[in-house]
Amino acid sequence: MNKYELALVLSAKIDDDARADLLEKAKGYISRYDGVVGQTETWGKRRLAYEIAHQREGFYYFIHFDAEPSCPAEVESHVRIMDNVLRYLIVRTDSDELFISPEAEEAPKAEQAEEAPVAEAPAEEAPAEEAPAETAEEAPAAETEEAPAEENTAEAAE
Amino acid sequence: MAENQERTFTPRKRIQRKRRKVCIFCGKDNVINYKDTAKLRRFVSERGKILPRRVTGNCARHQRAITLAVKRARHLALMPYVDD
Repeated sequence: MNKYELALVLSAKIDDDARADLLEKAKGYISRYDGVVGQTETWGKRRLAYEIAHQREGFYYFIHFDAEPSCPAEVESHVRIMDNVLRYLIVRTDSDELFISPEAEEAPKAEQAEEAPVAEAPAEEAPAEEAPAETAEEAPAAETEEAPAEENTAEAAE
Repeated sequence: MAENQERTFTPRKRIQRKRRKVCIFCGKDNVINYKDTAKLRRFVSERGKILPRRVTGNCARHQRAITLAVKRARHLALMPYVDD
């Protein structure tokens, strides 16, 4: 059994009783194909984003139901030909991996990748020409270790 | 030479064109649903077009989810196909 949701947009032109009948009819189709009808969300009258069948308003209902995978297609074939149904949509509501995002561990990785090039870039581009003038002041200890690397860059620059 | 060393590590201002946007859905329990038009509205232009990933900063996965949700919402007339 999977979880589904049937969205219905019903015409605002018909009266409330007729609309309730339509809703019951749709639920009847679901149960006919071994679906278990759950709760129904009722949004009531809502302005349509665009005109459908010369109407600007519709009544929105969302029927949740559990059913076998064969059920939605059957229900759809009936809802399709119902009168005064402006729009319908059946979607599966469980197992929607897309809507859950357990990706917390990916964030630190991305940060490391960004930092690495930043650290390297200045070393490569450091201008070597001005170095000798100020050498005397600076710590001689550092020179022994890191001087060879500097010479390399100086040669490369020239 | 040592001075040279010093220079190497002076912080150079790297000109970053834009701060990389992070997908607002990643790592959070943010649900994308076609019924939540208020949320979807943020990923759609004034004309009702779906904004590209380079604008929204979403990851590919969530951009796909948004695209799907917007299209479903359009079908049900919850959102416009064209908004003039």
